[in-house]
Amino acid sequence: MDCIITIEIGTGAIRVVAFDLEGNSIGSSKGTYPTFHSRPDFSEQDPEQIFITMLYMLKNFLNEKIHPGKHNVVCLCFSSAMHSVLSIDKNGIPLGNAIVWSDNRAKKEADDLKNSELGNFLYKATGTPIHPMSPLNKIAWLKNNDKERFGLTRKFLSVKTYILQQLTGEYVIDYSIASATGLLNIHTLKWETSALQHAGIAVDNLPELVPVFYSSLKLKKEYQHSLGLPGKTKIIIGSSDGCMATLGAGVYGEGKATVTLEESGAVRVISKQVLQDEKQRIFNYLLTEGNYVSGGPTNNAGSVFEWYAMQFGDFKRAFDLEECMEDLIRDAGKVPPGSGGLIFLPYLQGERAPIWNANAKGVYFGLNIKHEQRHMIRATIEGILYTIYSIGKTLEEHRQIKSLSANGTFASFPFWTQMMADIFDKPVHIKQGTGSDSVALGSFLLSATEIGLYKNLDEAAESVALPDSFIPRTENHSLYMKHFVIFERLISKLRDEFDSISELQ
Amino acid sequence: MPTQLLLKDDCKELFPFPHIHEFAIRKINTIQLDSFKKQASGCLRIYYVSEGRFEWNIDNRVYILYPGDLAIILPGKSFGAEKDFFDIGTLSWIHLFIENEGPDEKLIIGNRSWLTDSERTTISKVLTNISSPILPRLKEAGTVFQVLLHEFVRQELGYTARIHHLVDELVILISRYLNRQNSSQRDFPKTFMKLEQNLRENLSHQWTVEEMAAQVGLGTTAFSEKVKSFTGFSPVNYLINIRISEAIKLLKRSDINVTDIALDTGFYSSQHFATTFKKLTGYTPSEFRKKNITDS
Repeated sequence: MDCIITIEIGTGAIRVVAFDLEGNSIGSSKGTYPTFHSRPDFSEQDPEQIFITMLYMLKNFLNEKIHPGKHNVVCLCFSSAMHSVLSIDKNGIPLGNAIVWSDNRAKKEADDLKNSELGNFLYKATGTPIHPMSPLNKIAWLKNNDKERFGLTRKFLSVKTYILQQLTGEYVIDYSIASATGLLNIHTLKWETSALQHAGIAVDNLPELVPVFYSSLKLKKEYQHSLGLPGKTKIIIGSSDGCMATLGAGVYGEGKATVTLEESGAVRVISKQVLQDEKQRIFNYLLTEGNYVSGGPTNNAGSVFEWYAMQFGDFKRAFDLEECMEDLIRDAGKVPPGSGGLIFLPYLQGERAPIWNANAKGVYFGLNIKHEQRHMIRATIEGILYTIYSIGKTLEEHRQIKSLSANGTFASFPFWTQMMADIFDKPVHIKQGTGSDSVALGSFLLSATEIGLYKNLDEAAESVALPDSFIPRTENHSLYMKHFVIFERLISKLRDEFDSISELQ
Repeated sequence: MPTQLLLKDDCKELFPFPHIHEFAIRKINTIQLDSFKKQASGCLRIYYVSEGRFEWNIDNRVYILYPGDLAIILPGKSFGAEKDFFDIGTLSWIHLFIENEGPDEKLIIGNRSWLTDSERTTISKVLTNISSPILPRLKEAGTVFQVLLHEFVRQELGYTARIHHLVDELVILISRYLNRQNSSQRDFPKTFMKLEQNLRENLSHQWTVEEMAAQVGLGTTAFSEKVKSFTGFSPVNYLINIRISEAIKLLKRSDINVTDIALDTGFYSSQHFATTFKKLTGYTPSEFRKKNITDS
């Protein structure tokens, strides 16, 4: 039987998923790698460890699930996290670790550029908000602060480019990943000269640009042999995890948005136009030529709830976080919406969309003597979803949203999904079972389109069935909105205090 | 059964136990000046409070102990009452001889200990890295002291074997308690990162799963399951994964020979390295080096 294998190079893990040509998952495998913080602002990963983890997971998966089942691998399709930067020297050898999206070292570079004339122009041209996450600012940081590495660098790669180069020998980057670097003009599909100048680099310091459907790469002989894959196996370069998740959630066309709730979260829409936000709160990344994934990311989704569980939860068994979180959610359900007038600002890790304030902090507001642990739990979840809602509202200034499609680990808790429906006052659909991994499903749909199973991505996205629907309950919505107005006011009233307290931390 | 017993190394009761320097259970009813002066010793000293409140000075810091608390004093550290006398209450203690073996100062708990070499190494590491010498609420230790007293006093058939076992038990109890204390058993990612870092810093060490599990404070079965579900690798394969990643970095620098790389990254030999490397990547280490340095 023919199958398609998708490989996601995520923030902390490789995920390998195989699909039959109908889009049913045949099996999956996951392997993690660490993020190093040699300084508080630094977040780095070892490109060799990512490569070896990918190779190990793929090889074992093929040997255990695919080859014994006599499956014929039609293609491998890659996706990866956005915004990573890896320097390599003239021999192709990495100069240090890869700098990943959560790295904040380029804070000053971003602050200096933001709201400048060049910064405003670059946001419009590249679609990427001016933020330390973007490779534009990271490369500028290297230029200003690590002259030795900058001088020795022959090329600046994304992690996906490096992994593909190791497998095939070619240096390529897809338009999706490139559109999240802050260096690509998303209107002309060329590297933006003024951005390159600002970062101090030239076009030949970057990999070659190719479409997400690009499939001319060939596995090196040694890897064909060690993986047991013939040379004719197609390798599709694919897109970013965010774009794939949007596609895999069946969001394509008017009226739909997707909400991803992993450790971080995002709300996204796909449109034919770039959403130009005057306040620069929205990103616009390319999925394919003329199709933009627009939206806003939050730093504080599942990671905040996990923090709460690890601090205050009851661990009946060592390290059983899942059970602990389920117990907490059960308790939260015993309190009515609004948590008895307790409001939580979830900005434990600063915040990106929609407030873009790295100094923002967490706050419980409105505590009184009657509040119990369960009020705090519920307020914590409500606060996380108010932030998601505020991103959705920002998008609604540009696009109508009639329904949501939710995915990610935390969307699989019905309590969260129902609360999301109530807060947004919109129906929320989720895809259950193994198919809830919408990054993998998006990669499948892209591959299936490339090999001709679907006419185009619109048709591919329409094939995604979303059976489980959560219907909003109007009485809850109005109750939540009474709290949400205070939530929003608190954020603006506390802006100066966030800065002051940051100086003490 | 007496509530008071003090055995020093010159007492004949201790002759069968050359590693026990002193054992005591004492009820203190009156204050005697200078009864407990601060001094260092070559022994590992373990003190357990069953009644009263004691104000002690360990390694120049003052601690207050309540019933159920245990203090552990490493060889060479000064220890005594803050006011140089015993407060009123009931105490148990044992002093164990420590032999330094080699550079890692391995803890030797008598020849009759049933602990394996690798367990002793791990315990030695745990004990020498304690953040505080006080182990609050370790009531199980009190029970072990009571049984020890019983065996010393009655000297029934098989008592020497039992005493050896009980000393092991006390040491194990303390080490497990310290292990659990070191990791809160909540945040697995964070706990695992600490272990990860330790593996990287000692990559050439021949790690066993037992040693790794002990650092996290779990048994090997629970540890292996947890690592597998968190990382996707078995503990041993995760370690190999780090070794190969580090080896690749070294291979890409042409100034180190392959045998040195193999040993530095913890492989038994260059053959072991070559086989493992080729199985995963399809390249021998030298082929990999040749083919991966020139393309750009």
